[in-house]
Amino acid sequence: MSRLIDELKKLPGIGSKSAQRLAFYILRSSDEDAEALAAAVRDVKANLRLCSTCNNITDVDPCVYCSSATRNQRLVCVVEEPTNIAAIEKTKHFNGVYHVLHGSISPLHGIGPEQLRIANLMRRVEGEQVDEVIIATNPTVEGEATAVYLSGQLRRPGLKVTRIAMGIPVGSDIEYADEITMLKAMEGRREL
Amino acid sequence: MALKESEAIVLRTYDLREADLLVTLFTRAEGKVRGVARSAKRSKRRFGGALEPLTYVRAYYEDRERQELARLDSCEVLESPLAAEVSYPRAVALGHVAELLDELLPDREANDTVFRLALSVLAGLRGPDIWMPVTYFELWMTRLMGYLPELSECMVCGRTLNGSRAYFHALADGLMCPEDKRLASSEMSVESRGLAAQMFRAPVESFAGTPWPKRQGADLRKFLIQTLQRHIEKKLVTAGMLERIGT
Ligand SMILES: [Zn+2]
Ligand SMILES: [Zn+2]
Repeated sequence: MSRLIDELKKLPGIGSKSAQRLAFYILRSSDEDAEALAAAVRDVKANLRLCSTCNNITDVDPCVYCSSATRNQRLVCVVEEPTNIAAIEKTKHFNGVYHVLHGSISPLHGIGPEQLRIANLMRRVEGEQVDEVIIATNPTVEGEATAVYLSGQLRRPGLKVTRIAMGIPVGSDIEYADEITMLKAMEGRREL
Repeated sequence: MALKESEAIVLRTYDLREADLLVTLFTRAEGKVRGVARSAKRSKRRFGGALEPLTYVRAYYEDRERQELARLDSCEVLESPLAAEVSYPRAVALGHVAELLDELLPDREANDTVFRLALSVLAGLRGPDIWMPVTYFELWMTRLMGYLPELSECMVCGRTLNGSRAYFHALADGLMCPEDKRLASSEMSVESRGLAAQMFRAPVESFAGTPWPKRQGADLRKFLIQTLQRHIEKKLVTAGMLERIGT
């Protein structure tokens, strides 16, 4: 039991209390449920890997996006984490493909550009397989540092590099926007 | 308990539970304060961009009975590092300022001199040139923390080093003359000792605008980082990253 609690505690966002609660839940659950959980954990490690083209987590290589015939393979959206893809897919309006960096530049954590998965993006760009790269890293200091760094690396004739807009959330009120959000919204304004 | 208000610089944030952030602030009123920003991760409405590292804010927080962590109520942005372009060297330099403040300052002890130093160096780091403000900040932090040895005399024999060569070593607490230097010492140039003397006499703004390549004062920075690391007994993550940046 304490072994299970110790293992659960290693998960992000799980403290001692949560780990105990989860462990007791598993203890009380049916044999089938517990076995299904264990099998799912085993399978995720055994079958999932990174797409060799875009670094997305996948069970087939290349992943569903990179192998899709209906997606625009020349339009690449760069995100920090695989989970960010779901957020963009939800819009149902993006028909390009992705590139996952698996992190962002974070000096306080010792993470520089060398630690990010950039090499295969550069290979795609150098092979002239890309018309536009949309940089969709987070609107934070780390995400901005990553975007600025990438845009410098990607700069070459014939390749468009764009950054997603930052600004006022839809449905909110300009009155409550902080000064930096407002400034970014002004910078990112568009012609009507 | 009553809500406190203070100017502050956000040093770093850590994820805490599902939606909360643990925030380290360098407040003008009370020095380094740790607080919890409830739901800051999920709902950005209350804090917006105010909790990004190195944001200069007006913070409202309250202490909770028998608890070490304050409750961070809200933050108003006074100046954000995101207002200027975040190049990679600038990101590392900003991280360096945050790491030094976080590692060197004690909890809950106001230090207005360091606060003013940090603000002026952050202003100096708005542009793309980082080496002058970084050198200035390391030098003054080392001195204000009381870790800076006398730079004009040999720590072994006491002889003046003015006009003579000077050496330093990772395990020694000061500069040494050519006779007393240890094996594998590095040299600190006359120019860099001159720079340090100038920086003690003038505000950071007065050095702005003059070109300052990475090699200028590199020996001084190495000496300062070694001195700081010896006192805090650990490696500074951002020091190595700064070193790997090109000119
Ligand atoms: Zn893929
Ligand atoms: Zn001597």
